[in-house]
Amino acid sequence: MAASPELARPPQPDGVPVIDVHDVRKSYGDVRAVDGVSFQVAPGEIFGLLGPNGAGKTTTMEMLEGLHPPDSGRLTVLGLDVSHRAREIKERIGVQLQTPALFPQLTVEELLRLFGSFFKRHLDVEMLLRLLDLEEKRTARSKTLSGGQGQRLSVALALVNDPEVVFLDEPTTGLDPGARRRLWQVIGDLKAQGRAVLLTTHYLEEAEELCDRVAIMDHGRILDIGTSDELIGRRFHERAVQFDTIAALGTETMVGLPGVVRHKTEDGSTVLYTRDVPETIGGLLRAASAVGTEPRNLLVRRATLEDVFLELTGRALRD
Amino acid sequence: MHALRSLSIANLRSFLRDRPALFWTLAFPILFIILFGTIFSGGGNPNYDVGWVDQDGTPAAAQVRTAFERTGLLTLHDGNLAEEQDAMRHGTISAIVVAPKGLGDALAAAQGGGVSGSVQLGLYTDPTRSTASATLLQIANGVATGLNLALSGRPPVVTIENQSLQTEQLSTVSYFVPSILAMALMQLGIFAAIPLVQQREKLILKRLNATPLPRWTLVVSNIAVRLVIAAVQTALLVAIGVWVLGVQLSGDWLRILAVVGIGAVTFVSIGYVIASFARTEEAANGMTSIVQFPLMFLSGIFFPLEIMPSWLRSVATFMPLTYLGDALRQVMVGGTPFVPLWADMAILGGWLVACLAISARFFRWQ
Repeated sequence: MAASPELARPPQPDGVPVIDVHDVRKSYGDVRAVDGVSFQVAPGEIFGLLGPNGAGKTTTMEMLEGLHPPDSGRLTVLGLDVSHRAREIKERIGVQLQTPALFPQLTVEELLRLFGSFFKRHLDVEMLLRLLDLEEKRTARSKTLSGGQGQRLSVALALVNDPEVVFLDEPTTGLDPGARRRLWQVIGDLKAQGRAVLLTTHYLEEAEELCDRVAIMDHGRILDIGTSDELIGRRFHERAVQFDTIAALGTETMVGLPGVVRHKTEDGSTVLYTRDVPETIGGLLRAASAVGTEPRNLLVRRATLEDVFLELTGRALRD
Repeated sequence: MHALRSLSIANLRSFLRDRPALFWTLAFPILFIILFGTIFSGGGNPNYDVGWVDQDGTPAAAQVRTAFERTGLLTLHDGNLAEEQDAMRHGTISAIVVAPKGLGDALAAAQGGGVSGSVQLGLYTDPTRSTASATLLQIANGVATGLNLALSGRPPVVTIENQSLQTEQLSTVSYFVPSILAMALMQLGIFAAIPLVQQREKLILKRLNATPLPRWTLVVSNIAVRLVIAAVQTALLVAIGVWVLGVQLSGDWLRILAVVGIGAVTFVSIGYVIASFARTEEAANGMTSIVQFPLMFLSGIFFPLEIMPSWLRSVATFMPLTYLGDALRQVMVGGTPFVPLWADMAILGGWLVACLAISARFFRWQ
C-alpha cells in the first residue's frame, strides 16, 4: 500500500483553507450537538476532531458534507458555501460515514463501479481494489464482508471520485491493531498525494500518530486546537512518572517528592508530573520501601494527548 | 443518465439476489394462478353427481333416466332411496331423483292419448348448498318440461336461444387472470416500501445523499425497476393464462401495457407512502400486510362485485385495486365494465397524485 503515482494530484493553491468552519451551531431539540465551533483545515493537511461519543464530531462533519443544515454559522468547503453549492462540493469531496452504508446484495466491484458512475470524474476500480487490499474480495457481496473489509470498502468508496478533500468518520473503529496500522498508511498516503483529510476519532493514539493538527471536542465545543506538541506543550513542560497507586502513600508524600509539580490519581494509577525524573524516582523508591513495598508498573513518559484531554475535560477518554 | 442507469441496474440486481422478494413477486402469483386455474377450469360447465332411485322398474322409467343423462350435466348413481340418502349425507352426491312407482303406467297412458293423473318425480336437494340446489332444480324442471312437450306431441312455440352479451365468453378463469395480475402489481408496488426503508435504515440513502446524485434519480430508478418487474410479471401471467389455462386475450397490447404501467406506478406511490411513515423494516413489513390484505379481499378482484353484499360493495368502491382489476379485465378479456375505462384510469391517477403529494411531504431520507 505504498503511495501510488496514479493518485498524485496537483498541489492546491496555498493560503486558502480547504475547510472553513465559522461559529457553527446545531441543536436537536434541547440538545446542543454543536455549540459554536470554528476551525480551518489547510490544503494537504490531516486534521483530526478528537473527542468522546456525543461530542459533536460527527454532526460537525456531516454538516460539512451537506447532510444537515446548520442552525447558524458559516461552512465553506474548497471555497464554496455548503448551504448554496452542496452539489458542486459533493462532486469534489470523498465521504466515509461512521457506519458503512452499502447495498448488501452488491459485490465490492459492483459497488465501486456504481459509486463511480455518480461522479463526473472517477478513479480506476482496479487501482482502488489494489490500494485498499480488496482484490481478493472483488466478487464478494458486501453483506459477507468482515468489519475491517467493510471499513476498507467504505474508504475506497470515499476515494472513488479522486476527491480533493476526504472526510473520514472514525475510519478505524472496530479494526484490529494490524488493520488499523494499514489504514493509517493509506490515510497518510492521501496526504502525500496532496489531499486534505478531516477525520474524527476517539483514539488518542490515532490522533497523535496521524494528524497534523487536532481539535479536542467535548459537549459540542472545541476546547483547544493545535499540533500534538502544541497541545501538550501548552500545559505540560514536565515528564510524567506513572505507577499503580500505593495506598499507604498519601497525597502529601506524593507532592512532597523532589521535582514533583502536580499529581493525579485516576483509575488505580498515580501520575506524577516532574521537572526532574531521577530525583523523583529516587524519592518514590525510598518512600515506597519505607512502607515496605515498591512501585508496580512504573513507567516514565512524556505527557500525551491523553493527559491533555484529562486536563481539559476532567475525565479520561476511553476507547 | 449514466448514474440513473447504473443505479437502476444496482436496484434490479439487489432485487434479483433477494430470494424472498423474488418468490413473493414472481413465483407466488404464478402458483396462485395455476391453483385457481385448476380449481375453476374443468371444461367450464359444472357436473353434478346425482343419485337415481328407480322405484318403478319399467322401460319408460329407464327412458326418463336417459333424458336426465342426456343433459350432460349429471352423473347418475343407481341405488335404493336409503343408500342414496346415505351417500348424500356423506357428500358423495349432490341430490337424489326418485322415479316413483306408477311412472311407467302414467307415461304409457299419456302416450296412448288417455288422460291420467300427473306423476311426481322426487327431488332431494341440500338447501345449504343453494347454488347447486337451484341449478339441479332447474335441470330437473328442464327435463320434466321436455318430457311433457314430447308427450303433448306438439312442437314448442317459445324457446330460448342463449347468446352471450360479451364478445368473448368470460369464463371463470378469464376472470381470474386479470385479477391475479392486478394483485401481483399491487404487491409489487406496495412491497417497494421494504427496500426503501431498508436502505434508509442501513443509511444507504444517507450515503447516496453525500454524492452529487440528484434525489429524483433515486425515485425514478426505483419506479423504473418496478416497471421492468411489472412487465415480466405481466408476460409470465399472460403466458400461463393463454397457453396453460386457455384464456382468450384481446390483442390490445398497447392498452394492456398502459394500464399495467399506470397500475404499477400508482401502487409504488402507495409503497412510498408506507415508507414515509414506517421507521423500521419491521414496521414496514407490518404496514404492507395491513394494506395489502384488505385490498386483496375487499376489492372485488376475486369475486365479482355484483355477487357481493351491498355493504362490501360500498367498501370495494373505495379500493384502488377494484379499479385496476376492472381496467385490466376490460382491456385483457373484454370484461363487463364496473365503471368505464377512463374512469378507472382517472381514479388510479387520483390515488397516484395524492400518494405522491403525501410522500413528498413526509418521506425522510435519513
